[in-house]
Amino acid sequence: MATRISVARRTVMTPVILSLILLAFALLALAVGSKPFNQTIIDIFLRVILVVGLYIFIGNSGVISFGHIGFTCLGAYAAAWLTIPPMMKEISLPGLPGWLMAMQLPFGVAAGIAAAFAAVFALIFGRILMRLSGIAASIATFAMLAMINTVYSNWESVTAATSSVVGIPIVRTIWPYLIGAVLAIFVAWAHAISRTGLALRAARDEPTAAAASGIDIPRERLVAFTLSGAVMGLAGALFAHSIGVVTPDTFYLTLTFTSLSMLVVGGMGSLSGAVLGVVILSSLIQALRWLESGVQVGGSILSIPNGLQEIALGIVMIIILIFRPAGIMGNRELSWPMARHRKPGPSAD
Amino acid sequence: MSLLALSNVTIRYGRLTAVRNVAFSLAEGEILFITGPNGAGKSSLLRAIAGVTPPAGGRIDFAGQDITGRAPEDIARMGISMVPEGREVFGALTIEENLMLGTGMHARISGWRARAMTELEVIYDTFPILKDRRHSQAGLLSGGQQQMLVIGRALMTNPRLIAIDEPSLGLAPNIIDQVYDRLITLRTHRSLTLLIVEQSSTRAMMVGGRMILMRGGAVLLDGDARAMGQSEALQAAYFGYGDH
Amino acid sequence: MSGMLQIVFDALSLGSLYALGALGIALIFGVMRLVNFAHGDVIAFSVFALLWPSVDAVALVFAGNLPWFLLIPFVLAMGAGLSVLSELVVFRRFRRASPATMMIASFALGFVIRYFLLMLFSSRPKSISLLPTLSQPIEVLGARIPLLQVITIGVTIAVLIGLTAFLKRTRFGLEMRAAAENFTMARMLGVRANRVIMGAFALSGALAAAIGLILVAQTGTVDIQMGGAVMLMAFIATVIGGLGSLPGAVLAGFLLGAASVVMQVLLPVDARPFRDAFVYGAVILVLIWRPQGLLTARGTKERV
Repeated sequence: MATRISVARRTVMTPVILSLILLAFALLALAVGSKPFNQTIIDIFLRVILVVGLYIFIGNSGVISFGHIGFTCLGAYAAAWLTIPPMMKEISLPGLPGWLMAMQLPFGVAAGIAAAFAAVFALIFGRILMRLSGIAASIATFAMLAMINTVYSNWESVTAATSSVVGIPIVRTIWPYLIGAVLAIFVAWAHAISRTGLALRAARDEPTAAAASGIDIPRERLVAFTLSGAVMGLAGALFAHSIGVVTPDTFYLTLTFTSLSMLVVGGMGSLSGAVLGVVILSSLIQALRWLESGVQVGGSILSIPNGLQEIALGIVMIIILIFRPAGIMGNRELSWPMARHRKPGPSAD
Repeated sequence: MSLLALSNVTIRYGRLTAVRNVAFSLAEGEILFITGPNGAGKSSLLRAIAGVTPPAGGRIDFAGQDITGRAPEDIARMGISMVPEGREVFGALTIEENLMLGTGMHARISGWRARAMTELEVIYDTFPILKDRRHSQAGLLSGGQQQMLVIGRALMTNPRLIAIDEPSLGLAPNIIDQVYDRLITLRTHRSLTLLIVEQSSTRAMMVGGRMILMRGGAVLLDGDARAMGQSEALQAAYFGYGDH
Repeated sequence: MSGMLQIVFDALSLGSLYALGALGIALIFGVMRLVNFAHGDVIAFSVFALLWPSVDAVALVFAGNLPWFLLIPFVLAMGAGLSVLSELVVFRRFRRASPATMMIASFALGFVIRYFLLMLFSSRPKSISLLPTLSQPIEVLGARIPLLQVITIGVTIAVLIGLTAFLKRTRFGLEMRAAAENFTMARMLGVRANRVIMGAFALSGALAAAIGLILVAQTGTVDIQMGGAVMLMAFIATVIGGLGSLPGAVLAGFLLGAASVVMQVLLPVDARPFRDAFVYGAVILVLIWRPQGLLTARGTKERV
């Protein structure tokens, strides 16, 4: 009988390995020392947080959520509200309540509050959405994303509507982002091996049997939804600090598409897959960006048209879905020792 | 030459082998019952013949042609009509629409519409209850009526072979009698070959014909239904006496 | 009175757009259990097909100069064509896949189409003058209603009647209805799966193109995002109407149109930009009350 501790011990190598991989990336950035490269690695870490957040909900519940980037938006703007100097807020965001206007917190604290803020909304929305069937829930999350986008794009006094909100303190060192990513990975791991994570996966694979075993499916989904909302909020806050500017459309369809594709390619049901998907597709995106800006071949400059990046991403996603719908990792996790024996399946009768 | 011939047919669902190395053949005009306990692989076999679940191994021949793994609509066009377990009427469609659905595949043949209408009248004569309610929704029929509907629907495709999976399921005994009566009558009128899966071997013995007993995915017995009914071998094989 | 009439026409005409969109989604969902997130991009594509590729702010029209009786079939054909192409190239490979997988694939396909258009046309909205006579108002019972609205409603009603007749009276329609209810059983009766699915896609694509035409005539611009707003409402309508139910989708589309217009009127001026958010909120409330939708179709619940 596996006890909680022994399960933890058995599986903890996965988040550790993933964190080490990310650490390697961070060290690489330090070694290379160039600012653009540093930014690239920060982008990767941010995406890791996003996709891991998606995995917490989508991977464990099997319900596709198109709305999670909405929580990222909530977190990003919350971080903005909490860290922009009050003088700037008075000018650009006059509608903020007095106490918020006067506040200026260090970014770490602000990030935590932003994550909690997003989590609260996830709890509220989730309460409603979790009773819906898979497809209906997915479309409802789409509506939620649109709702957040509409509100943030129009509430001029509080979010500057579609104009950029500037003045967010920029954090250029790589360590906060690495810490955020590692935190997200460990949170995802802890949830996955917990009772609620297990119950949720049971419901994902066999909803009728799970319900018959007494699992409260909407409740377990809600837990995952809220937790993933918090992680997405954290990502949003850190995102805001990475470029210092936020607009609502940054957190809308394109980011949804990008993060979802990374999850799909890596493997929806796998935490390692989430991280792997980010690494692989980020490399692809970087290569395509490089080509888009033109590269010297022989004596001439070769460049590909704008927009090809997303097309390539889309095509890769479709190909993976056709041939390997479970993604590169499938349901497996990176582990040490590498040989993990699968239990033999039902014997042929 | 046999109308339907299976050789070495194996059917798998993932790692589960439902049918292993099954072989038998069926001559034109024969009645063949497939009987056996739950999980024997009978339904899987029928689904493979109909093209719904392609076999993992082996070969199925019909009227001299290889139909292994072909699409269900092609197999239907070649003359096999399947009535699956649980009836599967199109509940939202009317009775008449259900019946007419299978005639579409003959649309290229000249005069098909006239022939289809004649067929329809024959079906209505055989199953008068269907005629009374021809324009009401099929989902409102009782179990026995639905069974008659799906048999009629299968017949409308003008098949050479009808495969029926568990016609008695969920029906009262007197209704089952009626259904079988009609089935046998229709068979004699149009030289139909019948392949029927019946969990109850008693029915097979009542109707007569050939019987195959399956258990655990394999064919254990193959012979005359009535003869098998007299012998002990049937019971032993069905329940696995003497197995280890 | 004329104010009321104006509101009614607004609601009906907006509802028509949503209903057409929802119908396109429901048709494909019926036969394939696929929620086609690429549908909005088919809308944009059908209309962009009228233009030469360029990044100018004013559209360079080539086929758009055709007279209306050639232009409309051309656009419809483009929509149907792209839709069928997407089935042949992409969705056909997903026949045995789970609904979730298909949904994400359609989402990806939508992006591919959208960014393909972006490559050719840039993301700037282009102005285009298409059938300009239609924006003129006409007198209806004392109110001035844009002719386009009347035509939109008329076209939608015609489409609904035509589609119903097609589904109920033709053999192909019968096969589609049977396939939507029980795909495998229909195949066992000789119904050609591929043909039925392609038919659904073609119809759906033509519906998308029709929406595109109406939008262009309404706004005078083409923009790669143009299908997005309508389609989001259309998806929501499909869910509220009950996945898989054609009448439900249409009904819900009109209800959403009515709700949008009513909100627009009732909301205080400051809150008006948030109208859509309120509609989404109302939708979520409806879903709490009836998670399975207003009219459920058979076959959407898992059989145990």
